[in-house]
Amino acid sequence: MSEIGDALNGSAAEADAADGTTAKAKAGRHREATLYHALHGAGAGDGRTLEELRAAARDAYDSLELPVWRRSGFWTTSLADVDLDSLSSAGADSVPEVVARTLPDAPFAGRIVQSAGAVVHVELDPALAERGVVLCSLQDAFGDHPELVAEWYSKRLTIDRNKLEAANAAFWEGGVFLHVPQDVVVQAPFQIVYAIDRAGIAQYGRTLVVGGANSDFRVHEYDLAEDFDGQALHAGAFELYLQDGARCRVAQLQDWGSGEVYDASTRLVSIGRDAYCHWLPALLGGHLVRQHLELVVTEPGADMAFRGLFFAEEHEHLDVFAVDLHETGPSGGDVHWRGAATGESRASFEGLIQIDPGAQRTHTYLQIHSMMLSPRARIDAIPSVLVSADDVSASHGGTVGELDESAIFYMQSRGLDRAAAVRVIVEGFFEPLVAELDDEALEEVVREKVAAKLAAAREDIETYATSR
Amino acid sequence: MADLEIKDLYVRTEEREILRGVNLEINRGEIHALMGPNGSGKSTLANTLLGHPTYEITSGSISFKGEDITEAEPHDRAKAGLFLAFQYPVSIPGVSVANFLRMAINAKREEPIQVKEFRTQLQHAIELLDVDRAFTSRHLNDGFSGGEKKRAEILQMAMLTPDVAILDETDSGLDIDALRTVAEGVQKLHDEQGLGALIITHYQRILHYVRPQFVHILMDGRIVLEGGVELVERLEREGYDQIRQEVGAAAGAVDDGV
Ligand SMILES: Nc1ncnc2c1ncn2[C@@H]1O[C@H](COP(=O)(O)OP(=O)(O)O)[C@@H](O)[C@H]1O
Ligand SMILES: [Mg+2]
Repeated sequence: MSEIGDALNGSAAEADAADGTTAKAKAGRHREATLYHALHGAGAGDGRTLEELRAAARDAYDSLELPVWRRSGFWTTSLADVDLDSLSSAGADSVPEVVARTLPDAPFAGRIVQSAGAVVHVELDPALAERGVVLCSLQDAFGDHPELVAEWYSKRLTIDRNKLEAANAAFWEGGVFLHVPQDVVVQAPFQIVYAIDRAGIAQYGRTLVVGGANSDFRVHEYDLAEDFDGQALHAGAFELYLQDGARCRVAQLQDWGSGEVYDASTRLVSIGRDAYCHWLPALLGGHLVRQHLELVVTEPGADMAFRGLFFAEEHEHLDVFAVDLHETGPSGGDVHWRGAATGESRASFEGLIQIDPGAQRTHTYLQIHSMMLSPRARIDAIPSVLVSADDVSASHGGTVGELDESAIFYMQSRGLDRAAAVRVIVEGFFEPLVAELDDEALEEVVREKVAAKLAAAREDIETYATSR
Repeated sequence: MADLEIKDLYVRTEEREILRGVNLEINRGEIHALMGPNGSGKSTLANTLLGHPTYEITSGSISFKGEDITEAEPHDRAKAGLFLAFQYPVSIPGVSVANFLRMAINAKREEPIQVKEFRTQLQHAIELLDVDRAFTSRHLNDGFSGGEKKRAEILQMAMLTPDVAILDETDSGLDIDALRTVAEGVQKLHDEQGLGALIITHYQRILHYVRPQFVHILMDGRIVLEGGVELVERLEREGYDQIRQEVGAAAGAVDDGV
């Protein structure tokens, strides 16, 4: 296990990373090697109507090519193979099997399911509806709650950075709108499901969640597909706005199955004054997945925990850009990701802490731990820090690990076979984050998925050991 | 045939030969001490007995309960009833002592152990080794002190009820109270369950609490002296250097000095 660490402290340009490494860094230095940039508040909404936004996005769509992102160091994420002409965003009328198979049998506050291009199921605790909670398709929300939607829709999301983002903004249908009004506290999760049940689908998922002042709730998003042969696309846009004092735990469980599913999505969480968000995407599969995940502190006093885990297998390609952006201070940030890769999978994790001028008294830490489970798998972890304030601390650290053979031998000497020992190590590696989901039922779903992936990669992991 | 039989064992790592013809027989119910200076190959022998992949057996054999296990997988040796208490136990983050023990016990059984039976056994072991209940919900060896690690090793030994256990310098790093607890635990498992043990140490301390019937002295990869507990006293008087000179002179064997 080797450690990577770096730190930047506004006043001293030196700080201790939490794992004990000490390093010096100059502001901006790290950005050279990186590929992506924060949206940084560049929302498209800005007073325009939905129709105007759709039209503008349509123009962008027509003029743009399918995106290809290249970073020096031989990393390329290309969506050029998506055959848009052969995909359709057709409607659907039933809940795909995979949803029933995956969602835990546990209480929920509300559930909304979109299959292909249509919302096929909406369910909300009537007691919550009475208290003003709204859960419906985004399409319906534009008709029924225009005053709630207009203020927030695409407030901080762009519509024209690439062709698929433009496609989403131009063509989305169905969609999800959740509004939890001021002071409403809900323990059980709101479940948002995007499912693809067959090849040939282009799904443009569009989610808007607004948490009123001092509301407190949970959102669990599931991105699921059946195991099919052939191509499908999910181009998603998710935005969550937490108003003053709101608290929200957001978890995302993504597993697009074994089909040739492309996912190019942007997710943005914006945290208001004294608000708090715990955000944990679990990215557990997809042929090619590119996620732009941005957590923005917009008002003083906000705090957040940005967690994430990923597990790439076989020939999967995963490209994650996670941003912890502080527009004002004082604020806190704590980013902690863990990822593993088997087979010939490729994963890239770019983590960025960005502290704007004036975001004084902000304290953040970013750590990324990765574990390679196959000699042909690759994980690039690229943390970076962009600081433009002087009374702040921002540091990062992490580890790059392979399986610890001495730990495996230790467990074998107690009677566990090699596969069981590997499972203990990998589950132990993810466990600190899985436990943070703070939801027994969802934790079990994640643990089972990790275990299944390990079982599938058993031979591969075996070969790895003997090859060294 | 002895339960554990080591015959003319030669072991090397990539760099060099470490064991050069070790012969040793251990039965259930017997307590053996293996002593020798640092670097003489004690841990190498212990790890080789459990099948550590770093150590290559170039000749000789190991058999256990009549089966040749020279090439066996480590977990099969464990299931057959061998146990190693490590000199340097590694930490296993993310899994609690209790959960790990349950997995290890279940690995040996057809049917998973009943919750109640497991609890009873765990309680028994906890009392034997005088550890805190909370100890078993901590992650295995993760952030443990040296003494806690050694106790965790013996706790596992008590739970897994091996036929023959190898204790690799379990005494080092323990204060006198911890040493007594651990040693008495080993003695008790021997008395009650007929445990056979190979206690590896280069001090005499632990042997005041567990009395070995057989003592072997390992130097430069060979057993150069064998006897009863009187050997411990001789070692205490004379020290390794003098013994090395005597056996070296007598056998003319340890000639390539290390
Ligand atoms: N994995 C290894 N790789 C290289 N050399 C080793 C390894 N293990 C042990 N040795 C060497 O073999 C010799 C015996 O080591 P060891 O068995 O640990 O001795 P002891 O336990 O008696 O102190 C030492 O010189 C040590 O450096
Ligand atoms: Mg040793």
